[in-house]
Amino acid sequence: MAATSMAAALAASLPAPTAAPTPAAPTYEAIPASMSKVIDIEAELPLQVVQLDGLVVTKIIKHAREASAATVHGLLLGLDLDGTLEVSNSFALPHHVSDEDEKSAKSSARYQASMLRSLREVQADDSVVGFYQATTLGAFFNQNLVEIQAIHQDKLRHGGVVIVHDLSLTARGNASFRAFRLTSSFLDAYKKSNFSTSSLVNHRLTFSSILEEVPLQVRVNPLLASFLGSLTKSTPSLLPDATPETATFSVLPPSFSALDLGTTGLTKNLEQIIEAVDNYRTEEGNLAYMSRQIARERARADNYVAKRKEENLARVAQDLAPLPEEDVARLFKIPAEPSRLESMLLLGQIDSYGKSLESTASSAVINMFSAKASI
Amino acid sequence: MSRCTASTASSAPPVPITIHPVALFSILDHYLRRNDDQPRVIGTLLGTRSPDNTSIHVRSSFAVLHSENGEQVAVDMEYHRTMYELHSRVNRRRPSYSTGLNLNTCSALIQNFYSQETAPHQAIHVALSTGAERLPQIPRTAYSSPSPVRLQFQDAERSGLDLLTQTALSPNSTTAQPVTNITHLDTTLSTVAQMLDSVLAYVRQVLAGEAEGDKALGRYLMDTLGVGPISEKGGEDKAFNTSLQDTLMISYLANLVRSQAEVSSRLALVTS
Repeated sequence: MAATSMAAALAASLPAPTAAPTPAAPTYEAIPASMSKVIDIEAELPLQVVQLDGLVVTKIIKHAREASAATVHGLLLGLDLDGTLEVSNSFALPHHVSDEDEKSAKSSARYQASMLRSLREVQADDSVVGFYQATTLGAFFNQNLVEIQAIHQDKLRHGGVVIVHDLSLTARGNASFRAFRLTSSFLDAYKKSNFSTSSLVNHRLTFSSILEEVPLQVRVNPLLASFLGSLTKSTPSLLPDATPETATFSVLPPSFSALDLGTTGLTKNLEQIIEAVDNYRTEEGNLAYMSRQIARERARADNYVAKRKEENLARVAQDLAPLPEEDVARLFKIPAEPSRLESMLLLGQIDSYGKSLESTASSAVINMFSAKASI
Repeated sequence: MSRCTASTASSAPPVPITIHPVALFSILDHYLRRNDDQPRVIGTLLGTRSPDNTSIHVRSSFAVLHSENGEQVAVDMEYHRTMYELHSRVNRRRPSYSTGLNLNTCSALIQNFYSQETAPHQAIHVALSTGAERLPQIPRTAYSSPSPVRLQFQDAERSGLDLLTQTALSPNSTTAQPVTNITHLDTTLSTVAQMLDSVLAYVRQVLAGEAEGDKALGRYLMDTLGVGPISEKGGEDKAFNTSLQDTLMISYLANLVRSQAEVSSRLALVTS
């Protein structure tokens, strides 16, 4: 913890600390002594846990349910304190059809900027700490996510996190949120934009080492807790002849959707696996084609060099001046080794589909046996 | 204890209002972040009105700056406009009205402002009492009529609320994520087991004559427990077995796919 104490010493020694991690407070206050250990100016404390506010949970779920697009994005706002990244607010990003990229990127940036300014005015947290994405059946591996997160990890304090929300799990009664960041080895390879086989070997990259999971916890503030408490309290119905369903009235009766015997998402999940495998096969085919191309070009180049050498030997034997060794690279265009990023991401997608299928199947087995036991 | 009331500023019959939880949660969050000297916060509700004007769905809300001293209330109009535009870009559905909301007490002035904004429809006014302070309630009936309020959310969003209620009950008001399917199932099953236990305890008590049997309760129990499918013994076992085999097959397939993916990613690293 040398770095931590150094940060603390630094915080204490600065005469007028440029305190707030957010630029929200224009008048800087001195950091109180009790807080000097937990506020790190240089973002040196490692990120240990992501804390998601109840408001953000409902906002993400609502956005994901209502959006028509396949993938749903939004920005997370909050601040970090003592290794905990507190996500206290979020807002949805407009969905763009990607035909006019330049224009949509600009208007999206304007939207973000004015939204942040507006939120600052009502004293909400306004520093971006990451983004969220909603998917179905755990398929969050895609180029888009990796690209955005790579940019964030460069620009934001602590690199930011991406929170993945699984819509299909939530529909089955288990609201699921996970926080991820890119691993340093992947980021290194990504910055060099080099995903050739040798680079993958050097960085020890497989699909499972692209993202690292950050522990995530959900928090409810006391005001919200009391509100939820008043919602879940059940009051007996006033009607004397009420049916069992209406005898007691509660806004939030206990739900048992996890015990549903139906296997609704199963066919969809299987279809998605097949589709992902097909995509992967196509991608592998492309890769194989390209590597054959490379091999062929290389063989031709080698052939040419060997022939030229032989010829020169013959000419030397006949006391003639040797022909110049021409630049092989200029004569033969050997294509660059293809990037394996896409195929790696596809494998990751197949894996996560498989994982979600597995968990569905295992809970289905338990459900079946419990149903059988009750008969 | 939080309490939520809504009202419309007109003599027309009250329109039932449904509110999405996220709107209420935003209000509570805004209230938490107010300045100490602010007695209340206000904001704008966004949503849709049914075409025949018989119901109103409030879908989201945002906070608006305002200041009040004594008799005067100032609302940042420009801010309200900007936010309104920003929100309608994401939500697409153009709200047919916007509304004032405040906490603890109502204000005729704010209501007036929003009535202009939402013309020709009347504005609704949602007051959320946080119960954090005790303030005398101003009689509201003088200028507005209360409307029935319902909390509304989609079934799929239910689990999110469940997660939050669980979190609210746990110590520190935090829960660790992600919860696996199996853990979730485990919690649900133990809840069911607990409920069965308490029912069983009650029935035993009645049988032993320790407690007075409630006829209505007995009828409910019979209705609930009698629902189970009662068919001939053999057919059930067969259906169970085929279904079990299917499920096991899927589980096998899932494992196969995953291990293939793993092997394939390792093979990509092999160089000649």
